[in-house]
Amino acid sequence: MRPANNREEPRNWLSRVLTDLHFWIPVAVLIGGLVLLESIH
Amino acid sequence: MQSVVTPTNEASARDLSRPRKLQALGILSGFTAGAWLGAAEAPTKLVSVGVSPIVISLIMVTGVFLARWSVPALILGTSSVRADLRRAPHLIIWALLAGCLWAVANTMTIFAIRDIGLSIAFPLWNSNSLLGILWGFIFFNELRQAGWRRWTGVLGGALVMCVGAAFLAIASSTQAPAAHSMRGVWAALGAGILWGTMYIPYRKAYLSGMSPLSFVTFFTFGELGMMTALAIGYLGLLPLWHELKSAQDVLFWLMLGGFIWVIGDLFQQYAAKYVGISRGIPLSNTNQFWGLLWGVFVFGELRGSAASTYMQVIGGSLLMMLGVGAIALSSAASKEQAQWQEAARRESRRYNLAEDFVEARMQGKQVAGEVRPSRTVWDWMLVAVATGVFVFFATMARAPRMSFHGGPAVLLITATLVLLLVCGTTLWQTTRFN
Repeated sequence: MRPANNREEPRNWLSRVLTDLHFWIPVAVLIGGLVLLESIH
Repeated sequence: MQSVVTPTNEASARDLSRPRKLQALGILSGFTAGAWLGAAEAPTKLVSVGVSPIVISLIMVTGVFLARWSVPALILGTSSVRADLRRAPHLIIWALLAGCLWAVANTMTIFAIRDIGLSIAFPLWNSNSLLGILWGFIFFNELRQAGWRRWTGVLGGALVMCVGAAFLAIASSTQAPAAHSMRGVWAALGAGILWGTMYIPYRKAYLSGMSPLSFVTFFTFGELGMMTALAIGYLGLLPLWHELKSAQDVLFWLMLGGFIWVIGDLFQQYAAKYVGISRGIPLSNTNQFWGLLWGVFVFGELRGSAASTYMQVIGGSLLMMLGVGAIALSSAASKEQAQWQEAARRESRRYNLAEDFVEARMQGKQVAGEVRPSRTVWDWMLVAVATGVFVFFATMARAPRMSFHGGPAVLLITATLVLLLVCGTTLWQTTRFN
């Protein structure tokens, strides 16, 4: 069993986030939203 | 042969009934969320002075920020937030991202209402529930192996609620469409897409075992940071400061709206956790119905309207109730829940989380040997500071002169508090807010 506390190096969990496809969907939507906001403002 | 109930049998019977309990809890949380999110509109209705919409949004988010730290500190203590953070530090990024999405979406709704009016804008951004169903299905195995009856219940219920929302929005609309109609349509659709996508981080957090009370504390940094950046970017620092100063009479009402909104959002988070986003979002979208109840009965918004308007309100409300009923009766069966657990295992593997911890948290339990969080003097200080800020702004607040009916207000406040009491107590008894 792995310990309940995740004491990984920040670089490790950051790279796991950045290589997660799920992460880039909200990021793309956020960028699209900001572009849209700028164009309608 | 006579059946004998042994302690082991009892334990397994409890384990079998727990998913059903959690589903019912999620549905109750979604419904309570709708009531509180709708009630959050009431204090903002008291603000009729000429304050810029972006400033209104910024002040509300400030109230939200204070509530998002003081309420978790009061319920569990910030030690539980720190413990969750150590277990799943990657979720800070997800929470910040969700907060940014919320702030941009909220700003877009302001432009949408300005350009096309509430009647067209609201149903358009309410389509976030349909997008939530899509993301839930694609990324988190929701509605997988659910069968056509549950599919019909959830998708059909969400669609019926969208139609009901359209009726309510048309009835409550007071604005005529302006010249920039396409711009308003894009803004409303954009808000729906941003809000629908915001639930990806929500679900991600709860499949990783994070407590909703911890998630919202980091979410709010994204929310306040993005909203501040937008306000400064669009208005400029000095004009923003002047607007805030000139609006000091109404700051309290807007912050109070933000505080009430946080209570609703917390229940929304529990709904997303226990019934998933495909069911949780449509249920909490009933806030429109509650908002209309406040508007019609407390603030007399539809007084003197045509009979057709009242028919729209009644028809829209019935449709919303029908949709809620269809979704509530389509709770996930054991096959679908097995798919959710598979999605949770995938998250555990990717982010190196202890599977037994994630499993326990998905069941609303603590893992064996986990230390119960406790409140410290810092938590009480946090609560005291937040309370002090609210009291300070309350002393500056002025009660606006407007139509206000006390009787219906007392009834609605009572109903909202009863839901809080029932849902809060059930959450505490079943999960200890885990």
